[in-house]
Amino acid sequence: MPIPPAEYLIFVIDDDEIIRISCEQILRKSGYKVETFENGYVGIERLKQVRPPLLVVDIKMPELDGFEVIKIVRKIDPDVVIVVITGYATIETAVDAMKMGAYDFLPKPFTPSELRLIIERGLERWRLAQEAKLARKEKEEVERKFVTLVSHQLKAPLGAVKQYLDVLLYRCRDQLPEETVQWISRSQARISEMVSLIQDWLVMAKLDRGAVCDRNASTDVGKIVESVIGEYRQLPSAEKLTLSTDIAAGMPPACGDAASLSMLIGNLVSNAVKYNKPGGEVVVRAAAADGWITLEVSDTGLGIPASFRSHLFEEFYRVKTAETQNIPGTGLGLVICKRIADELGGSIEVDSKEGEYSKFTVKLPAAETVQEAE
Amino acid sequence: MSEPKTVLMIDDDSDFVTAVQALLESAGYKVRSAANGRDGLQLAKTLQPDLVLLDVMMSERTEGFFVLQEMRRVPALSNTPVIVMSSIYSDEPVFRVDPEAGWLPASLFLAKPVEPAKLLAEVKRLTSPSEAFAAAAERKQP
Repeated sequence: MPIPPAEYLIFVIDDDEIIRISCEQILRKSGYKVETFENGYVGIERLKQVRPPLLVVDIKMPELDGFEVIKIVRKIDPDVVIVVITGYATIETAVDAMKMGAYDFLPKPFTPSELRLIIERGLERWRLAQEAKLARKEKEEVERKFVTLVSHQLKAPLGAVKQYLDVLLYRCRDQLPEETVQWISRSQARISEMVSLIQDWLVMAKLDRGAVCDRNASTDVGKIVESVIGEYRQLPSAEKLTLSTDIAAGMPPACGDAASLSMLIGNLVSNAVKYNKPGGEVVVRAAAADGWITLEVSDTGLGIPASFRSHLFEEFYRVKTAETQNIPGTGLGLVICKRIADELGGSIEVDSKEGEYSKFTVKLPAAETVQEAE
Repeated sequence: MSEPKTVLMIDDDSDFVTAVQALLESAGYKVRSAANGRDGLQLAKTLQPDLVLLDVMMSERTEGFFVLQEMRRVPALSNTPVIVMSSIYSDEPVFRVDPEAGWLPASLFLAKPVEPAKLLAEVKRLTSPSEAFAAAAERKQP
C-alpha cells in the first residue's frame, strides 16, 4: 500500500545555499518533508537519528564530496535511495556515482518538474524495495515453520510404527520364531535410518536458511569435545573402542555457537566410531595457533580408499565397500560438517590410509579473546 | 501389593498410545489417555494420576507446553511428575536437547519412539514414592 507523499522525509545535502533553498521549496510544495544540510558531516550525523527513504546529494562539495557521502550512507542505511546532483553532467561522474549505489543523477541546472519526477521515481523504487523485503521476511518465516512441521509430520508416523515394533519385541521376543525377530529388528533399523535422514535433512534446510552457525558466538571447543566423547563412551556402539581426548591447555574459544560445533564434532566422532574396528581407537585433539583452532578427529578404522576421498563431502555420497555396506548412514553427515566449517569461516580436510586410519582436520578461526562487557 | 499406579497419557497419536499403553499395562500400571490438551488437563484434575506422559505437538504446535504450564498452576497437579515426549527431539547424542535448558517444569524429556526398557525404568523411578517426594522438594527450592 503506497504511503501518501507527505509521509516522506527527504534529505538534501548541498554546499550551495541556493540549491538547498530551491529544492526545499519545490519539494515542500509537493507535500514532502525536507531537511537540508550544508555539508556531508551534518547530514550523516542526522541520518543516524532519522531514516529518510530518499537522499539528494551534491557530488562536488568541499571537504566531504558526494562519493564519500554515498560510501558512508550506504554503510549506515543500505535501503535509502540516493539521487546525486552533478554540476558537470559528464557521463563518467554519473556512472561512478551509480556504481557506488546511487539510484539516479540530476544534472545542474534542473527544473522543478525534473526534480519532482526523479524524486517520485526514487520513492517508488524505495516502496517496491520495502515491499519485497517484507515479502521475503514472511516467506522465510513460513519456510521455517514448514520445515519443522514437515519434519514432525514425517517422523511421527515412523515413530508410531517403531514404537509398535519395539513393544512387540520387548513383550513377545521369546514367543516369536528367530526369523521373525530378525525381520522385526531389520524393520526397526530401517525406520531409524529414515529418521536419521529426516533429522539430517532438517539440519541441511536450516543451514540453507542460515539459521544455524552463529559466527559472532564463541565457544569452548574443549568442553564440547569432552561432552561429545562422554556421551559416546556410554553408547553400546563404542563399547569395544578406546575413546580419548587431547585438549591443549588455555585454548581461546572458537568462532561459532555451541549447537553448531556440537553437531560438527558429533558427526565426526560418530563416523570415527562407526567406521572403526573392534579394539580400535578414536582420538580427538584440539590445539590453537596463530588465531586458529585446529581440531583433529582420528580413528584406527577402515580408512577411506583414495578414489573415494574427493567425493566425501558430496551430498548423499557414501563409501561403498564390502566392509561399509552394512553400516547405516545418511550420506549427509560430512556435508553438514563441511557446511558448518565453511559457514564459520573455517575448513575441513581428510587424510586417510585404507585399512589403517582416517583423520579429519577442522580449522576454525579463534574468537576474539577480548571479552566484551555484558 | 499396593494399589497399581495410574499413568495418564496426553497424546493425539492413537497408535503411539496403543503401543505404550500395552507396554505399561503389561508392567502392571493403570493407563488412561486423552487425545488433546484440554481433555488431558480435565482428566488430570479428576484422575490425579501418579505420572503424566505428555506429547508436545498436538493440534497446536506447542500444545503440550501449555498443558504443562497449566498443570503447574493447579495445586493438586503442581508436583505430579511429567515426562514430555516428542518426535521433535531425538536422543542421538548429536541432537540431544540440552538438559541444562531446564526452562520447562517437566521431570524428563524423552524422544519418541522410546526404548521400552528405558521407559519402564523411568516410569518406575518417577512413580516410586521416595522419588516423587524428592522431585517435589527439588521444585520447591528457589
